[in-house]
Amino acid sequence: MARTRTTKKLAQRIDLNYFKRPTPLKRAKLGLSILLPALALAWIAWLVLAKNTSVYSSGRMAEAHAVLANDCAACHVQKAGVFSQKAEDSACLSCHDGPIHHHVATKQVACAQCHNEHRGRINLLAASNENCSQCHSDLKANGGTLNYANAILSFSDGHPEFAVVRAQGGSKPADPGTIKLNHALHMKLIRRGPTGPLVQLQCGNCHRPAAAPADMTYGDAKYVAASTTYKASDELLPVKQESLPPHDLSSGRELMAPVKFATACASCHLLTFDKHFDEGVPHDKPEVVHAFLVTKFTQYIAAHPGDVRVVRDPSRDLAGKAPQPEVRILTPAQWVAERTADAEQLLWRKTCIQCHVLSVGGASVNAAVPTAPSVLPVVAAANTTVKWMPHAKFDHQAHTGFTCISCHTQALTSTLNTDVMMPGIATCQTCHAPGPDHAESRCFECHTYHDWPKRKEITPTFNLPALKHGGR
Amino acid sequence: MHMDKTQRGWAFASLIIFAASTVGYVIYALSATPAPSGGSVVGLFFGITGFGFMIFAALLGARKRVPVWRLGRAQAWMRGHLWLGLLSLPMILFHGAFHFGGIMTQVLMWMLIATVGSGLFGAVLQNYLPRTMTTDAPLETIYDEIGNVRTLLREEADRDVESVCGPLGLSHGQTEEAQRAGGFTAMRPLAAAAGARGMVAPAIVASTSTAVAAAPEIILLTEEESAPLRSFYVNEMRPFLERPGERGQALSRPDKAKLAFTGVRTMLPAVAHSALADLEDICDEARQLRKQEQLHHWMHYWLLFHIPLSLALILLGAMHAVMALRY
Amino acid sequence: MATTATPPGLVDLVIDGKPVRVPAGTSVFDAARMNGVTIPTLCHLQNETPVGVCRLCLVEAGGRVLSAACVRPVDPGMKVVTNSDKVLSARKTVLELLMSDHPTPCARQQHSGDCELETQAHAAGIKQARFAKRSVARGRDESSLAIAVDHDACILCDRCIRGCDEIKNNFVLGRMGKGYSAGIAFDLNSPMGESTCISCGECMVSCPTGALTNRGVVGTAIAKTTDAQVFDAEELLQIPVFKGVSGTFLELNTGAIVKRKFRAGELICKEGDFGSTAFYILEGRAQVSISTPIAHVKTDGGAKGFFKKLTSSLVSRTEDKRDEERRDRTIPIDASVDLNYGSPVAELGAGDLFGEMTCMNFYPRSATVRAVSDVVAYEMLRNVLDIMLKNKSFRAQIDANYRRRALENHLRGVPMFADLAPDFIEHLKESVELQRFSPGQMITRQGDPADCFYLVRIGFVKISENYPGGELVLAYLSRGDYFGEIGLLGGGVRTATCTALDHVEVVRISGDDFRQMIERFPTVRAGLAAVAEERQQANQQRMQMLQTVPIDQFLSQGLMEAQSLLVLDLENCTRCDACVNACADAHDGVTRLVRDGLRFDQYLVATSCRQCRDPLCMVGCPVGSIRRRNSLEVIIEDWCIGCGLCARNCPYGNINLHPFEVIVDDPEHAGRKKAAIKQKATSCDLCTHLKEPSCVYACPHDAAHRVDPKTFFSEMLGQGSTK
Repeated sequence: MARTRTTKKLAQRIDLNYFKRPTPLKRAKLGLSILLPALALAWIAWLVLAKNTSVYSSGRMAEAHAVLANDCAACHVQKAGVFSQKAEDSACLSCHDGPIHHHVATKQVACAQCHNEHRGRINLLAASNENCSQCHSDLKANGGTLNYANAILSFSDGHPEFAVVRAQGGSKPADPGTIKLNHALHMKLIRRGPTGPLVQLQCGNCHRPAAAPADMTYGDAKYVAASTTYKASDELLPVKQESLPPHDLSSGRELMAPVKFATACASCHLLTFDKHFDEGVPHDKPEVVHAFLVTKFTQYIAAHPGDVRVVRDPSRDLAGKAPQPEVRILTPAQWVAERTADAEQLLWRKTCIQCHVLSVGGASVNAAVPTAPSVLPVVAAANTTVKWMPHAKFDHQAHTGFTCISCHTQALTSTLNTDVMMPGIATCQTCHAPGPDHAESRCFECHTYHDWPKRKEITPTFNLPALKHGGR
Repeated sequence: MHMDKTQRGWAFASLIIFAASTVGYVIYALSATPAPSGGSVVGLFFGITGFGFMIFAALLGARKRVPVWRLGRAQAWMRGHLWLGLLSLPMILFHGAFHFGGIMTQVLMWMLIATVGSGLFGAVLQNYLPRTMTTDAPLETIYDEIGNVRTLLREEADRDVESVCGPLGLSHGQTEEAQRAGGFTAMRPLAAAAGARGMVAPAIVASTSTAVAAAPEIILLTEEESAPLRSFYVNEMRPFLERPGERGQALSRPDKAKLAFTGVRTMLPAVAHSALADLEDICDEARQLRKQEQLHHWMHYWLLFHIPLSLALILLGAMHAVMALRY
Repeated sequence: MATTATPPGLVDLVIDGKPVRVPAGTSVFDAARMNGVTIPTLCHLQNETPVGVCRLCLVEAGGRVLSAACVRPVDPGMKVVTNSDKVLSARKTVLELLMSDHPTPCARQQHSGDCELETQAHAAGIKQARFAKRSVARGRDESSLAIAVDHDACILCDRCIRGCDEIKNNFVLGRMGKGYSAGIAFDLNSPMGESTCISCGECMVSCPTGALTNRGVVGTAIAKTTDAQVFDAEELLQIPVFKGVSGTFLELNTGAIVKRKFRAGELICKEGDFGSTAFYILEGRAQVSISTPIAHVKTDGGAKGFFKKLTSSLVSRTEDKRDEERRDRTIPIDASVDLNYGSPVAELGAGDLFGEMTCMNFYPRSATVRAVSDVVAYEMLRNVLDIMLKNKSFRAQIDANYRRRALENHLRGVPMFADLAPDFIEHLKESVELQRFSPGQMITRQGDPADCFYLVRIGFVKISENYPGGELVLAYLSRGDYFGEIGLLGGGVRTATCTALDHVEVVRISGDDFRQMIERFPTVRAGLAAVAEERQQANQQRMQMLQTVPIDQFLSQGLMEAQSLLVLDLENCTRCDACVNACADAHDGVTRLVRDGLRFDQYLVATSCRQCRDPLCMVGCPVGSIRRRNSLEVIIEDWCIGCGLCARNCPYGNINLHPFEVIVDDPEHAGRKKAAIKQKATSCDLCTHLKEPSCVYACPHDAAHRVDPKTFFSEMLGQGSTK
């Protein structure tokens, strides 16, 4: 009676309809297959009811836009007849102006092309190189001539040497500034004033960011306090047209302020003009200096009437010149005129031209040639370049980890004021290069797309109180 | 699905698709303006491809509901399911450019990873477990019918024991037995409606035997002689047959069972040995059924995770697609 | 007086003081009987070999102990005492012992009060046995539809066994078991209904107790309804066909034949029902019909290709033509008429016998019979039918009926003979011979000269060929099939052995007529030759194959016999049931595949039609609707009546019944219709409407395959590829 198994016996144990009966497994499968999608639907439904649209967000908004995270329609504009609700330029432009890039640009791109939202808390301004290179890799001008390199892919690929240090037309670039500063001289031990001790100047004694307080080590408070008649435009090189300066250098720590006489030079470069006076002349236009001298001497002679008797000083007898009489008695007016002329000759021909370029009637003032006493010279504009690279921004503040001369190496050797001491692209590229060990080298680091000076004032559609109340 | 060399074609094709899309992605990611994203043309292409793969993979479930439609062999569908389903993950990763994005997309991404992961787990299980089941449970039956077969086994064992020990006073599932009409499957569909048909079944019922059982030969032993068998059966074997999954059942381990049966055999007269051999056989079968159950659970329970999750994934994925195309 | 010398060969002895002379070798029992002394007995019957087991015929024969008279031969000068106190007391004890195990009153005693044991025990004054009853019940066997067996009532007298073996030569009965469990057994202890017993009733007639009784006696016979008129033996003897039949037999068979009256329109029998009786119409007319739709189950996707769900529907031949379908115009049924395919209705009248197959072979009813006018009919069980058919005049009448009404249809039903001229049919009607064969009887023997051609009329014929080491079944033929043509067309020698599987009737066409036929009708010849060729080729292939396959398991699982197997590679199969679902889907929600069965190597041989070369399912189909296409594929013809016999016969459980709801006439309310469930047998159709089996198509794991076992397993079977 051993048990035997035959196909038929085995088959007959099986209920033919077994596969229609639910087993716990099948039931659970069905139940879960309904439950989980139902839960998903419920979730969606709940979100719809709670008007929580943030879940559809493809990513976090940039910090600046965080307030819009739940307000999709703020940017995604419904257009008639179109299913898609893209973030339209008009939405961006309702809060931000986006001046065009360049009037000769061949292509206008949508905001979102470069400014990618929903990528997390990123800097929306940080457009990728590809955004730029889509035009700049093969740049074409829309009429007019092309002034720029036409195949730039990235900072390391195709970016030309900075224009400011680039040789143009066979000649080396020159600093247009007229202040005759010998950097090399100033970087060595140097006597402080005509009789002072030897001192070692630091870059920071003269150079500072605009917002930083001046280092007054070599300045003179008198000069700082004094008002001047010249304008900033006389000191600074006017910015060229067609430039795209950044609109955003708000802290004043990014760029170096122009070096001022009052804060950097005055303590050594004394503007004394006569032995009767300790003070110097104002650091101002010749007309002001002249008026100052006349006033000073007039006041002096009024206080010392005896000084109209002038005794010849043999040390001042010059060969080839008729000697002066031993004693001369002058009228106070004569005395003032004589002393003023003397002081002016000193100033124009020695003191001022040490740094400035002076000219009289188109001829430059020379130390060897006395100027006509009746004519006041003209001081050439200083033409100090504040922004060497008008198309790029540079933040000195961000680079304070380095010494100045680690980039501006020429400062130690330059003797001419025409020397351009801007570092070249290679200097930047030592750090700013692709790759993990290097600093960011994307275009946006230095360049900006929008032509900010052309921006218009915008009244934002959003403001905080309105957003707080859910309206606009 | 057994991973054998017949999968080579699919594996190769998948590898090519994967390699091609990886190359495509790398090129695209390096040149994308501004950055690779799901919304760009290439990103959308990856997204649509990935979602297409997912939908295709999910359609296997629908395909199984209509097995006779000539829509291509189920085998091809299964292979497509495996390989394209697997490919959907890199495709979607490319689509999202390895960003998980907002809440919805994060949820989707994790669900996709879980679905593909569970699918891989299942594929591995289904690759190995059939062989294990084939060797470990040679007496396997249809999973759904294990309960029924187990009842039949228990009744058979009851009969075997009663043929030796006399009535045990155990309750029998009479109704169940009558309903199943001795296992003559052909008449089953009618069993419910049989009342009116009266005469249909008797001849058939009379002629069919239950399960694998042979009609037990009746060899009654005295109470004293049969006591070891009786107590063994009532205290150990029947509880095992009734609740084979319960912990602490000695008979659930083959070595212990062998010992137990050997022990009982020495205490029984030789005439009852064949009945005992049958009982051992039954015990063995019950143990194998238990084993089959366990393996079956391993082989199929992951689906409880995989299928609902994939359905929810498809649903939310479609939602995401609509929303993403809209915004 | 005692001087008379005993003549040679005779023996003188004294019984109960009375001198008697009997032939030498006579038993004491017979000697006593011949001289008017009755010795009681249970186990001994005249004409049966004495066995001396009941010990009731104990006599004092001069020996040390009492002797059993039935087996004790007479000795010269023997003194026999049959009624001494010693004898009576011993006999009473024997009776007491027998009675202690006997369920008193037994079935026979309850019914007719003629249990021999109980009668004798009562006569001996035994009221209560002094001995303990046997503690184990030996059980009852009611599997036979004609005879009830109560093993507890059996006294092991062996009368039935001797009746079966010696008188009827059926050799079904024997002894089984030892001690308390000893008893009679059918074949190798099969239930009687499943044994080879032909229900001749001889055992029942022989039995002295209620161990073997007519089921009529035990209350399950046909005579339950009130309208049936039961005959007693005397009445039966008045009916002409029972003339000369043993009265005892008829007495025991009371209830096995009844006369029934059916009102016009009344149902006589219904197709598909199981039954065990035959009907003989005495008067009136009845209509034979098949109410199950004459159609086959067709599964298809409808007009719109794969987007429509597949449905199974019943379609007839006119709507859907299947390849190689047999274009029979008639449906063979269990009556003296055949039904027409187009309108399956025929009429039976007085003198017609129907239900013969059901009665003789226990096949389900093949058709529904309904009375047209008032009908009077005999309904009988097999043992009665047997007796009737042994009556020559009755036989002649039945045969004449057949010749007259069915032979032509039957012949023309074979497509090949459709062209026979009417005059030749007329000729055949007269010249053919109707032959009957009992189960197991050989019709032709391989190697014998071929001299005739056979057409199967009733029953199943097994065609087999001998090969070294065994017998190979080539085919099973049923009604409408023919055999014997190969021998006649070929070398004149039988190429195969044809054996009757059950009660078989064949139409025998003599060699001369056959030759005449094929000369006159060349198309018949061509057709026969073509089929003969095909059969021979198929046979040769199988023989070759058989000689090359070595593996036991392969053979024992019957895989050798299969032409196409659904195997599931268990190393790939995840047991997901996709195949079963696909099968159910392709077949109207009823699966024709069960994903369980035996394994061969790493393959599960699923339970799905194997298209056996030896299709046992076909044996017994009452309407011959299950058969094989020439491609050997098993096909179920349109007129399947859903009886389920094929499903029962299939050794592998591969055939199931598919229920359909159909609208039929309501028998209780004339003119109204009602919904009923009709069944059609279905088995795997290989999804022929879909090009590839759905199960295989739907397997996602490459596990299911439909294969030819021989090629598929060839490597495993050590054949390799020998091409």
